[in-house]
Amino acid sequence: MPENSTVEQVTVTIDGVHVRVPKGTLLVEAAKQIQREIPVYCYHPKMGPAGLCRICLVEIEGMPKLQIACNTPATDGMIVHTESGKAAEGRRAVLELYLVNHPLDCPICDKGGECDLQDYAMAYGQGASRVADPKASKPKAVDLGPTIVLDEERCVVCQRCVRFDDIITGDRQLVLKDRGVRDIIATATGDPYHHNFTGNVTELCPVGALTSKTYRFKSRPWDLKRVQTSCTQCAVGCQQFVDTRVGAVQRTMSLEHDDAISDSWLCDRGRYNVGFYKDERRIVQPLYKQDGEFVQIGWDDAFALWAKAIREAQPGSVGAIGGGRLTNEEAYLLQDVFRKAGVRNLDWRAGRQRQASPGKNGGSLLALEQVDAIVEIGESPAERAPVMDLRIRKAVSRRGAKLIRVNSYESKPPSAIACTDVATIDDAIAALPPHAKRVALVWDGVDLALGKRALDAIPVGLETFAYITGEQGNARGAEAMGVHPAFGPGYASVPECGRDIDGMIADARSGKMRVLSIFGANPALHYPDGPAIAEALEKTPFVVVSELFMTQTAKAATLVLPAKGAYEKDGTTTNLAGDVLPVNAASGLEGAENALSDLEMLIGLAQALGVALPSSDELEAAVIGHLARAAESFAFGDAAFGTPRAPASDEPGLRVLVQSSIFAGGGTIAHDDRLAELEPLPEAAISVGDAKALGVEMGDYVDLHSGDRVMHDLLVEVRANVPRGTVVLIGGLPDDPANALGADAVATITNVRNALAAASGDLAGVGA
Amino acid sequence: MPIVQVLTAGIGEADLRDIAVYRQRGGYKQFERALRELKPADVAQLCDASGLRGRGGAGFPTGKKWSFLPKNDSPRYLVCNCDEAEPGTFKDHMLLEETPHLVLEGMLLGAYGIGSHHAFIYIRGEFKRGYQIFMDALNQARQAGLVGKNLFGTGFDLEVTVHRGAGAYICGEETALLNSLEGKRGEPRLKPPFPAVAGLYGMPTVVNNVETLAYLVPILEKGAEWFASVGTERSKGYKIVSVSGHVQKPGNYEMALGTTVREIIEIAGGLRAGRKLMAVQPGGGSSACLFEEHLDLPYDYESVAKAGSMLGSGAFLVMDDTTDFVKAAYNLVRFFAHESCGQCTPCREGGHWLETVLERFVHGNGLRDDLDMLHKVSHQITGLNLCALGDSIEPFLASVLDRFPEQFQARVVRAPQDALAKDTVPA
Repeated sequence: MPENSTVEQVTVTIDGVHVRVPKGTLLVEAAKQIQREIPVYCYHPKMGPAGLCRICLVEIEGMPKLQIACNTPATDGMIVHTESGKAAEGRRAVLELYLVNHPLDCPICDKGGECDLQDYAMAYGQGASRVADPKASKPKAVDLGPTIVLDEERCVVCQRCVRFDDIITGDRQLVLKDRGVRDIIATATGDPYHHNFTGNVTELCPVGALTSKTYRFKSRPWDLKRVQTSCTQCAVGCQQFVDTRVGAVQRTMSLEHDDAISDSWLCDRGRYNVGFYKDERRIVQPLYKQDGEFVQIGWDDAFALWAKAIREAQPGSVGAIGGGRLTNEEAYLLQDVFRKAGVRNLDWRAGRQRQASPGKNGGSLLALEQVDAIVEIGESPAERAPVMDLRIRKAVSRRGAKLIRVNSYESKPPSAIACTDVATIDDAIAALPPHAKRVALVWDGVDLALGKRALDAIPVGLETFAYITGEQGNARGAEAMGVHPAFGPGYASVPECGRDIDGMIADARSGKMRVLSIFGANPALHYPDGPAIAEALEKTPFVVVSELFMTQTAKAATLVLPAKGAYEKDGTTTNLAGDVLPVNAASGLEGAENALSDLEMLIGLAQALGVALPSSDELEAAVIGHLARAAESFAFGDAAFGTPRAPASDEPGLRVLVQSSIFAGGGTIAHDDRLAELEPLPEAAISVGDAKALGVEMGDYVDLHSGDRVMHDLLVEVRANVPRGTVVLIGGLPDDPANALGADAVATITNVRNALAAASGDLAGVGA
Repeated sequence: MPIVQVLTAGIGEADLRDIAVYRQRGGYKQFERALRELKPADVAQLCDASGLRGRGGAGFPTGKKWSFLPKNDSPRYLVCNCDEAEPGTFKDHMLLEETPHLVLEGMLLGAYGIGSHHAFIYIRGEFKRGYQIFMDALNQARQAGLVGKNLFGTGFDLEVTVHRGAGAYICGEETALLNSLEGKRGEPRLKPPFPAVAGLYGMPTVVNNVETLAYLVPILEKGAEWFASVGTERSKGYKIVSVSGHVQKPGNYEMALGTTVREIIEIAGGLRAGRKLMAVQPGGGSSACLFEEHLDLPYDYESVAKAGSMLGSGAFLVMDDTTDFVKAAYNLVRFFAHESCGQCTPCREGGHWLETVLERFVHGNGLRDDLDMLHKVSHQITGLNLCALGDSIEPFLASVLDRFPEQFQARVVRAPQDALAKDTVPA
């Protein structure tokens, strides 16, 4: 790809049309500039040429043989024919061979109607077959893993899936096995095909060989209604198509030209976690708790009860939490309505993340792949911002950037890309390549002191791009909209600070909080101190929760309001790089007709409170205006975002770290039955050294104790990339919440049970 | 023209696997002389001037191949291709087993000539005995200070790595060989880039055949003019021809290029009594047949090509009038279909299709339309693939279809409905 205009231009003639392109442009790309389609199967713009499918044959004057357009760079004066008799005969010949063994099951094939083989056979094929012998018979539904099914008969061996796993993810699970006509796609090890990006291979597959389990036999492409929107499952904001039919989401697809945000990929969470919209457990009516039992009430009653509770309480004893899962407009209105009602206790930070905007050092996602070194601080972005992690892998494996991880830990073994693990920020700075001019800092946004130290340590003179991966999709938008005790919209200072989430919880536990309104958040599961939030919710007389499902937080509420999900509303969202992206409702979704968006709820509340509302034009202008005012004066770990937590206690035991997993969560994941197979098991990951010292082995079951708190039956994982003296738990598992031991817990391993003994039913265990 | 003994000298007379014997006969003198007296460029110049062409099959001028390497100090590798697998070729594994030190000395000279400090030899998996013999020879050479650091005190380091393949024909293709050598799936790479620019482990690499490298030793000893003085205008020097099939004394025979087809048959003991020559496949399984009218054709690259075939690796298969050409065609097509790596669709699907049809012919179940189809499909596979394997199917099949159509027609079934396992599948 040309990166600047100084690249020499050449003129090539394609089918009589002159095309001016940068030197080195491949013919297949040059042809696109004149809307001339050269058919391809193996070539992909994001992966480059492979030269295998042989369908892109063109005639080039002066060359005796047909050439493949995917691997032939345009040179000045080159004359290319894509429609000459010779080129057409070459394509026909190749297509005939594709159909020798390809089954003609188009009527029952999911790809039918959007299949490159079908389309090219129509456009360039010969119509009748000369093959007299029966076609090869192969397995039609090979279970490749939890997400993908392979039809071996349909596979045309273009190897796009294999190359995706090699070039794009670096995981290298899929390989081509055997040879010749017996070629099959399989995992190298024979284990299930499972990583965070498997669904992309179904889009790369030019035929119906690789299909998603969630979409098999669900629809014909021409029956789908398509809407383009932004994924809000994490803060990357990948652009995607949402395809619906019969009132339900049938599938989601990436955008071919989303270079700036997703680089045209989707993670499996964003792609597949869409089954919850039609889950029968969705809350469909406002629920009011009376005598410990929820009863259905109407919206008018709900607004009246809610407003009454707020009116009757002192503003200082009212708080609102959440915003990271709302749109920018909703987040703005949230703080607007509550502030107008005199409430100052506002905080979007319902989980571990403390800061969302990297302020003056923020960089674009495209800039991330242009750096010379990437320093990851805190939790790896692999599970928090998966598609951004692909960009890091691209920078490392294809552009030679150096990846340095400071005390990083991951829930899975790291992918095949090279990385340097160091223990401290100083070591990371020492490990920067000497030629480095541009450095990216990628921080999880959790430990303010750590973020600040990292940014301060970068030597002067290096251009620094900073990224905060965060937890909820619109954390940065909620922060910029002022759902924060210390800022108003656009990071404007407020006359008097409110209580942040820690303060609100402390107040609630001491009985000083009367009303808590929680929007699109599940702090009971994600707030670091589980016992504290549980007590706070219990001691607050009136807790309102807007939710799709009866989460751990909703169960503790007084009033539960059925909310719309991201595919059911319109608005905008802000991604971690500060891009403001559209959120559009999918077409004709059914199942939650009586749910309201948080915007509609806030309007209802404002009316019940008698608070003035901005007009929709005023709202739009306010959102855009305030988003434009970035947090220019802030940096990582700025004091304005709160007080850094006290350093970890040095009492003996294992410090508990919490690790995200894209397939863990109490809301949309827990209520998508199709993805149950992907949910991680509760595990306790420890270092090799600690395992040895404690006498535990991989596969053992243990309990974790901290004071009088305990977590039972955790599966032991022993991993080289876990720091000594720590135990890493997967956060967000509703049945085994990692916050059960409290914030910054120090735990001891007890009740070790050998894996084999456990399997044979002998759980009587040996003490550690 | 007589048989000569250049590379084959001493085979069967002395135990050339013993380094002492090999050195007594002048072995490793050329390598020592090259290191002490010649610059790498001098060796390359000798190689170029001798007119030596690649003996693995393509016949590309070796000196020219070396010249494609970048003219800088970047690390580079020499790889000796000992994956000899072309049907009918058996010269390289004879050299490996009978005169391993000559093979090694050729590799050392080649590596020195291109300025490489690391030479690799990729030995076909089936050559277990040859591999063991070569390893012994390498160990002897290492102990004698011929491989390793600071050779002969000149400061030149040269390491040799031996790699065994796993028996895939495609790994004889140089880029598939490099992939396999790197531990990857043995399948040809997309070119460009060519190995001279980005080969083994991404570094500039020359891949030369065993026989090619071995000829460097006598060329250094006797001079480029000596080698260039025999053969023809453009096919210079000597060649080991592996004669097999319907001759009385099949085997490897070393001779000057330009020896006639008739002479080669005679060298190998001639046909069996009372038999008539039907065809000769002159350059391995990938080559088209020569016939009676080509008996006086000189066996050199240009003449054989002009006659519509190729000299290839020098596998010379003689077929008399007992040959069933339908079975022969089936056998070869099955081989290529089986050995296709499957990357490219024309080769993968086309080879399998032709195999299926020919298998029917073997059982007397040919269809009348198949004859035309065999011609056309084998032709339409050709020239469309990433490597030359798919192009190897057409030459033999087309030449015998043209020459012996009656053998195929005799296998066409009278009742077509009985020929197929199932009904035809409309597209």
